[in-house]
Amino acid sequence: MKVYQCDQCEYASVSNKYRCPSCGTGKLQEQDVSSRGTVYSYTDIHIAPAEFAHLTPYTVALIQLDESKAKVTARTNGNVEIGDVAELDHIEDGAYIYRKC
Amino acid sequence: MTNVYIEGIGMTKFGKFVDKSMKQLLVEASIEALEDAGNPKVDAVFVGNFMGGSIGNQEILGALVANELGLGYIPTAKVEGACASGGIALRQGIMGILSGEYDTVLIAGVEKMKHASTADVTQAINAAMDNDSNEKQAGLTFPGFFGVLANRYFYETDATKEHLAMIALKNRENALHNPLAQFQKPTTIAEIMEARIITSPLGLFDCSPTTDGAAALVITRKKGAIHIRSSAQSSGPTQMQDADDVLSLPAVRESGRLAYERAGVGPEDIDVVEIHDCFSMTEMLAIEELGFFNKREGWLAVEQGRTKATGDKPVNTSGGLLSRGHPIGATGVAQLYQLVQQLRGIAPNQVEHARLALAQNLGGTGSYSTVHILERL
Repeated sequence: MKVYQCDQCEYASVSNKYRCPSCGTGKLQEQDVSSRGTVYSYTDIHIAPAEFAHLTPYTVALIQLDESKAKVTARTNGNVEIGDVAELDHIEDGAYIYRKC
Repeated sequence: MTNVYIEGIGMTKFGKFVDKSMKQLLVEASIEALEDAGNPKVDAVFVGNFMGGSIGNQEILGALVANELGLGYIPTAKVEGACASGGIALRQGIMGILSGEYDTVLIAGVEKMKHASTADVTQAINAAMDNDSNEKQAGLTFPGFFGVLANRYFYETDATKEHLAMIALKNRENALHNPLAQFQKPTTIAEIMEARIITSPLGLFDCSPTTDGAAALVITRKKGAIHIRSSAQSSGPTQMQDADDVLSLPAVRESGRLAYERAGVGPEDIDVVEIHDCFSMTEMLAIEELGFFNKREGWLAVEQGRTKATGDKPVNTSGGLLSRGHPIGATGVAQLYQLVQQLRGIAPNQVEHARLALAQNLGGTGSYSTVHILERL
């Protein structure tokens, strides 16, 4: 899993930015970290826009990564609860698909 | 202090109007606002609108208004900021007057959504997410974002789904007295709790509806009874995964802080509030971010009835987005319509002796927020 870590402060994100939005001065550096993390929160989506309607109901979770301050939004294959340990199963059409460990 | 005043207000009924065009709704609200203001000369028009192009195939809304009303060859613009389009349109008008360029500006907001299918509207609304992100591709939706926040809020506090239901019920009860509101059928906590789930834990009553409608304001530098004491706008993270604290909406907090600072007042001074309750959970977070209640304690205030029209901090006396309705581009303008009525002493759910009022309008998943503080002189 690629994350972007500020070289001046604690900020980290899964998406790159021109400058660190937290300290305003640092540059974000690409890092490779484990995809493993903990479910920070989630929702089970029953009504979706046309492009995802065929997947309903599906679960979208916010994962707090173990090796970074960054969180990642992922779809999970199956239900999850806050505190569940999960890891990346595969990437599908640009989406991270996580599964419970 | 802005030294800009609201001279006139207008608003259509909110609901389903398949036989009226977007232009007709815009013109109806604008004429009412102009008549209320005594038909002053208008120097510019700003229209708040989000999906007129994508689901209505209609743009050039500013020029349409100027032309239909015969306002002359004045400058106009449409302003887009997702659900904050109306609040940002108002702010652009205020900035235009403050710059010295205009004396009097017509602000209008409009949306027509009821003619399109739910899937098409949801798809169009999703244009306010970052298309170029793994988050959008994961299938996150707007209701989904607030569902994720709600589950975390329940995890960190003693709040439950019933507290969200109390917010939805309060706003429905307020709407029952508002003749322009979309929903005027009474409901109960039980009905709200048992309604079908849209995105857990949010059910049908926790989500604002699709709505047709328009609202308008005439603002001017000429001193009047309703003073716009301050205007502020902020941006926030465009992705949930970039939030520092998921239970915080930084754009709301920062726009509130700036608005209080510029007005020289604090949350304790505000008598009546219109907040962007696109979801019941959004109202919960906004009452905390605007400083009315401590962080992670908004649910206690809700439980104690403090945000009811009869409470010490009345929130959404119009019925809010949840029950007055949410014609996206009109919402930020409709909030001011209700607050001006409050300050004039003629509002549905009138708050006694209201002098200071605050409106907060949100766009995207916390991407934009405007706050306006009004004062009755």
